[in-house]
Amino acid sequence: MSKDSRMRATINQKLTEMGERDRLKELLRAKLTECGWKDQMKAHCKEVIKEKGLEHVTVEDLVVEITPKGRALVPDSVKKELLHRIRAFLSQHAT
Amino acid sequence: MKMEDMPLSGPDNTKLEALVHDIYSELVDDACLGLCFEVHRAVKQGFFFLDETDQESMKEFEIVDQPGVDIFGQVYNQWKNKECECPNCKRLIAASRFAPHLEKCLGMGRNSSRIANRRLASNNNMSKSESDQEDNDDLNDNDWSYGAEKKGELGGSIGSEPYKYNYNTGISYESLGPDEVRSLLSTQCGVISEHTKKMCTRSQRCPQHTDEQRRAVRVFLLGPSAPSLPDADTVAESDSFDIPDGQALMSRLQWEDSPDISPTDSASSKASANHSDSRKPKKKKRTSLALNCGGGGGGVGAGGGGGSSLTGGCSSSSSSQSNLSVSSKKKRPKLSAPSISSIYDDLN
Repeated sequence: MSKDSRMRATINQKLTEMGERDRLKELLRAKLTECGWKDQMKAHCKEVIKEKGLEHVTVEDLVVEITPKGRALVPDSVKKELLHRIRAFLSQHAT
Repeated sequence: MKMEDMPLSGPDNTKLEALVHDIYSELVDDACLGLCFEVHRAVKQGFFFLDETDQESMKEFEIVDQPGVDIFGQVYNQWKNKECECPNCKRLIAASRFAPHLEKCLGMGRNSSRIANRRLASNNNMSKSESDQEDNDDLNDNDWSYGAEKKGELGGSIGSEPYKYNYNTGISYESLGPDEVRSLLSTQCGVISEHTKKMCTRSQRCPQHTDEQRRAVRVFLLGPSAPSLPDADTVAESDSFDIPDGQALMSRLQWEDSPDISPTDSASSKASANHSDSRKPKKKKRTSLALNCGGGGGGVGAGGGGGSSLTGGCSSSSSSQSNLSVSSKKKRPKLSAPSISSIYDDLN
């Protein structure tokens, strides 16, 4: 298992060092905005805030409410593309 | 290559695949968290709900989705068929043409002064080239086009001088003796305008006045035994639009030295004024010009006069002025300043 975790650590490290992680992050953000995911999530946020009250909403509240829904709402195309890119990176740089 | 889309092959497949998914999840979580921070900050700073005001305003500006109407609820070609009544000439003008019409009708705006100056210039040419009015119609055509060629030279320089546009349309019959009146009436229309009390200086066939009016004037001025009009044609009065301008210019040339034009004045002077708006010259319909310099009027100070009104009744001043106008006609751009000063010298 440690070999496994070591491999993971290595890959993560490479991902960050080579800037691929940031690139992937930007790509994901752009795609999500483009496909309307962000607006959907904002609308959901509004509901949550109205529910909890404008003054007392905390980051935790939002995270707890938003994250599961956010994960579910990512469109398939975006997901596929990201997975594809990660796989490509791995196949290039995995030992 | 299609292989890249499939999960990685080999014994470490599952682990690598799991890793891939883990990395993916991490990225998505990152995005969600970023969004949460953004929203939370907006809420605490107070600008999160800025695009939502109260219910009433929201309803007011809702997107409209009806046929025949744009998303604001406005009709597209609402003003297409509307007509407006011109306060000046009382005609009904289409809405989209109303502004240019007003410009010409009132004689304000850049274009109307340009056109007036151009007409004035061509009238200058016409008046100088012949004084016999019977053949005027034919000769007028040539002169008009000749004048049109010259218009660039003259119109530009004239237009550069600031003018107020008024003009007088005829002669005052009170100042003339009976012989003069008779000779005038035998060649000119002579109808006395109600507004300005002046005689029309256009030809016997001037379309602004009827023969009845001409006869009445002759009776009035010369007594019941006045000679009959040489020309008995009835002329349509709703003729070309540039007649008032031509008449004004013509009379300006001969009897008045004020270089001003205003179509409103011409409208008032017409007996049957229907329209005094458009200034587009219809070249074939230029009426004859009665240009009797011997009638005792002054010469032409048109254009070069710079706004001064010269009541030169003597032939010397008329000749000097006609000289001025002749010379200024040819070399207007250069001589406008000197001619103005010389006219003022005459006055003083």
